[in-house]
Amino acid sequence: MKNHVILRFVTKLLIPHILLYAFYVQWHGDFGPGGGFQAGVIFAAAIVLYGLIFGLQAAERAIRPGLVQSGVALGLLLYIGVGIASMLLGGEFLDYDALGHDGQHHGILLVETGVFITVASVMITVFYSFAELIRRQ
Amino acid sequence: MSGEQLIDIVLLTLLASTAIAIARLRNLLATAMLTGIFSLLGACWMLFLDAPDVAFTEAAVGAGMSTILILATLCVVNAEEKPSRESPIALVAVLLTGGVLVYGTLDMPSYGDPDAPATTSPITRIYLDSANAPSEQEEGHAAGSNPGDGFVVGIPNTVTTVLASFRGYDTMGETAVIFTAGLGVLMVLAGARHRRPDPSMEIEPEPVDEGPGK
Amino acid sequence: MDAVRELLGWLWIVPGATFCVIGGIGLLRFPEFYSRMHAAGVTDTLGAALVLIGLMFQSPDWTVAVKLALILFFLYVTSPTAAHALIHAAHTTGHEPLLADDPAPAHEGDIP
Repeated sequence: MKNHVILRFVTKLLIPHILLYAFYVQWHGDFGPGGGFQAGVIFAAAIVLYGLIFGLQAAERAIRPGLVQSGVALGLLLYIGVGIASMLLGGEFLDYDALGHDGQHHGILLVETGVFITVASVMITVFYSFAELIRRQ
Repeated sequence: MSGEQLIDIVLLTLLASTAIAIARLRNLLATAMLTGIFSLLGACWMLFLDAPDVAFTEAAVGAGMSTILILATLCVVNAEEKPSRESPIALVAVLLTGGVLVYGTLDMPSYGDPDAPATTSPITRIYLDSANAPSEQEEGHAAGSNPGDGFVVGIPNTVTTVLASFRGYDTMGETAVIFTAGLGVLMVLAGARHRRPDPSMEIEPEPVDEGPGK
Repeated sequence: MDAVRELLGWLWIVPGATFCVIGGIGLLRFPEFYSRMHAAGVTDTLGAALVLIGLMFQSPDWTVAVKLALILFFLYVTSPTAAHALIHAAHTTGHEPLLADDPAPAHEGDIP
């Protein structure tokens, strides 16, 4: 992609905004359409765009494959961890009221973060696997 | 015919014609692009049905990630679909299944029906009342009381409340499904992980938009 | 005042929709790839921009207008880039444009 000056410039212009929008959608899921699933996919789309234009190695230097592979499990662990934490604090599994004052709000935020991490990591991992397959051809 | 009915008919016709085109085309690159268009039209239709969260997800996943992954697969395989033999048994099976499904939808309540189970059930009223922001309801009991007792979650987006709090168990299942899908892909394409990328090679992958369409 | 704003909005939306229809007709009727990309570019950029500006006039709240302006900005940046990427890809893989003195072909690029 050395001679694709326009594409490289526009991508450099846009990727920070896409990442920012992903985080906006994540935290604003409480007030409008949004939440973990949408935000995870938008985040992964930004990384995929970076990988397509600047090369797979640049993308893997930015977001390491080992990191995203652990991310796949970490998000689900966070979700179940919130449930177990509510059990340990006296309520039932995933009973956010046991998390203290304003427990519902904190519980929903943590749970959506877990979903975000898992969805983004899975999308990036699938892209990396396909790209490595193409590169090895 | 009102404007909304017209938009409805146009959107559904476009969806149906895109689906037929996807099934009939043999050039796989065109099919990949049409799949993206189908997802975008589906997102428009869901927005028309007043479901912005779902439309959002469908647009991002279907018109974004899914198209990229299908194109990536096309880089590895043939760009033309092999001609398949037409089989009468397949036609009968498809017609039978489709007919049974259509017969099933005849029983479903129409959109916005006031007598539908979704509108008259007490659970709906409990969910909607419990999800309201505190300023719209008087202060209720604190944690642990039964829903419907003035229990209030207090965030404005009802969809997120239902997804993450009232139906949190189901969302955990969904996240586990996504996790399993990622795990499955990693296991199938496992060979990629055993070789460390060679830092001296400056090879960059072929951009997927120049793929097999030569 | 509201009626004036709505009329002003329609004054922008209707030309925008017309340009989209013209672009669609051009997409189907032009003889070769490069002219069709030109038509598609018209649809994307000009048609969508006019419709968005019309919607900005009709918006009930200034926050909605700001969000529409942001959408307009991103559309202006990305859709010409997408057209450029397509044409560049076609050119580097050897697709030649149809010039004025070439014999007219049959309608090119029909999907098999």
